[in-house]
This record gives sequence, C-alpha cells and structure tokens, in this order.
Amino acid sequence: MITIFTAFITGLTAGGLSCLAVQGGLVASSMASQVEQNIKQGVKGKANLTHPLLLFLFAKLVMHTILGFLLGWLGTILQLTPLSRAILQFAIGIFMIGNALRMLNVHPIFRYFAFEPPAFIRRYIRKRSKNSDQWVTPLVLGAMTVLIPCGITQSMMTLAVAAGNPLFGAALMFAFILGTSPVFFLVAYFTTQLGAKLEKGFSTFVAILLIALGLFSIYTGTNLIALPSPSGIGSTSNNTNLTLNPFTKSEPVQNGATLTLNVENHGYRPNHLVAPANQIITLNLITQNTVSCSRAFVIPALNQQILLPKTGTEVMQIPPQNSGTVMRFSCSMGMYTGDITFN
Amino acid sequence: MKIIFNVKNMHCGNCAMILETLEDELPGITRISASYHKQQLVVEFEESQLTVDAIIQAARQKGYDLVLNNQY
Repeated sequence: MITIFTAFITGLTAGGLSCLAVQGGLVASSMASQVEQNIKQGVKGKANLTHPLLLFLFAKLVMHTILGFLLGWLGTILQLTPLSRAILQFAIGIFMIGNALRMLNVHPIFRYFAFEPPAFIRRYIRKRSKNSDQWVTPLVLGAMTVLIPCGITQSMMTLAVAAGNPLFGAALMFAFILGTSPVFFLVAYFTTQLGAKLEKGFSTFVAILLIALGLFSIYTGTNLIALPSPSGIGSTSNNTNLTLNPFTKSEPVQNGATLTLNVENHGYRPNHLVAPANQIITLNLITQNTVSCSRAFVIPALNQQILLPKTGTEVMQIPPQNSGTVMRFSCSMGMYTGDITFN
Repeated sequence: MKIIFNVKNMHCGNCAMILETLEDELPGITRISASYHKQQLVVEFEESQLTVDAIIQAARQKGYDLVLNNQY
C-alpha cells in the first residue's frame, strides 16, 4: 500500500505539473481579479499575486483533504464517467472563455461569468474582515479544483477509497496535494510575475491565456466523448452496442488480433494503431513505472475506463468494429490521445 | 429612502464588496447592495442622517462614479 510519504513525493514530482496543466485556468482566473484591481488603483509595477495564489492553494488543500476523508469514509469510488467528465470539461472551457471575454469588455453579458457571492455572504465577509482584499475568488476557485482532478489525483482518490479509512484517506490526499503545491506555486507565480510587468497589458495577456486554456479544455472534452475533433473528424465508432465487456483480465481470445499499447508518462506509444475489422481485438496495455495521468485509460466510444497499475499489463477486449471505424482512446482528462483504425 | 445608482468603473465582483463598505463609513444607511453583474448600487438610508450627494462623494473617493437611476 502506498504510504503517505510516497503520496507526498508523487505530488512533488509528477502531480504538480499534471494538476497545473488541468487547473491552470482556474489559477489564472483567481489572480485575474487582483491584477484588475491593481490596474484600477493605479498600482505600478508587479502585482501582489502571492496572496491570491496562496489562498487558492490553501482552499485546494482543504477541499482535497475533506474529499479524502469522505472517500475513505464512504469506501466507494466516486469516479466520473467519460461523458460526465467531458461535460465538466466543456463547462470549464466555456467558463474560462466567458471570463476572458468579460475581461476584454466584449459585452455586458459576460459579466455573469464572474463570481458574485450572494449579498448576505458579502455582508458576512465584510463584517468579518474589514479589508477588501481579493480573497473570495481565489478561495472559491481553489475549492473548485476538487471538481477537475487530473489523472494522478484520481489515482490518489482511488487509493483513498481503497484505504477504507477516513483519517488515512484525508492524510493521503493532504500529503499528495501538499506535495503538488510547491511546483504549482512556483510555475504559476513566476509565469504571472513576468506578465505583471506588462501592467495593463497583462489583463489582455491573462484573457488570451484563458481563451487558450478554455479552448484546450473543450478540446480535451471532445476527446472524452468521441466527438469529431480536429485530429479525427468523423471518427466515432458505429458499433458500440455490443454487450461484450471490453475490460477483462482473462486470457486473450484465440480468434482475434492482438495489439500492444505502451502506456508511458508522456502518452501512448504508438498512438496510432491499425486493427482488422469485424473481429474481436485483444489490446494489451503495458505500463512500466508509469505515474502520469496516461494510466487512467479511456475509450469513450465504448464508455469504458480503467486505472492501470503503475507497472504491469492489463488485457482489454474490443468488440468487432466495422471497416473504416476509427476508435479513439485517451487519458481520463483527454490530454493524451491516440486511435485505432479498423480496416 | 431607497435609491438605485448606476455605477461606472466596476471591474469585478470585488468592486461590489468595496462599494458596500460605505455602510460602515456613512451614517444612516439601513441597507446596501451592489451588483457587478448589473453595475448598480442600491442604498436605503435615513434622509435625516444622509444625503444623496454625500453617498456620491464617498463612492467617488473609492474610485466609482454613481449616476442616479431611480429613487423611491
């Protein structure tokens, strides 16, 4: 069983960048309001982005610790389906782009993409804290990261469930998120500090960054629901209603082709496979010290997902597909992709 | 008296919170609510203790220009 220290090291080494890739837009959003406020108040030079970033990470840490506690307590996997995760990715993408358009003052309607706590909460906050620092937005967005876990975080969540112990689950998630924080902080901080020197232009910079991240989020969403995307127009499976369970650890069937896919830290090799049509395909998924989110393997057209071991081989059977079908696969966040062409 | 102002120069939700601090600084305000989404500020106050001009001046000091929208 993974130890709490190992969870911390995993977060420190791989989790930080993996989480940042998925949650970078929320970090940018959390600091955007601080930058806007500095501009408005005529503050020259670098903006104080340490405060919102620390609040963001604090909220993230607290929420994931609570999540770890609940996962350990419930002892059940709260794993999202590829479709629900895709919808979430779409929603996040739309939120980011909407926020960017708000910052660019494109239209008043985009103001509704900004968080505005209810009046009674604002009053409560005001009474509790006389200063008007930008801390609500980073806290809310930091807490929201619990909704978009990267593949490695999902692995930890699964381990927290498997632990079947609330305190251990909480400690595990706490250690992991704590480990991700230094990388998360350093990359986000220095990236935005460079941008802050551009003063007012930084608003535009952040807005453009948000648009790019929003589009990327939507793109990864399309990978998860097997919609046509720039890399695979018209590539959805047309034979997905078979009852055969595609995931099994049984021996490969004799009358079908066998494919081998290496699941590596930076994606899948090869990421384009060719298989014969109209027969069951056995797919061997091989991991070798793989710790990235590529381990969370998904074939959206089959609505199936599996968390692969760090090292080992999982065998998967794919039902017969018509000739010409291109079946896409990806990691659970749609970041690493590949496909199988049947002919 | 209840007054609705249109607010200029609101950039984000935090501006609403800043405007609402007027309640702590001006006498006679019984209720105050600002909205970044609507770009509005609603103030209910005792006329015997506070004037509309005083509210406008105090908001201007915070960097916001208020324009009278409606009053009841």
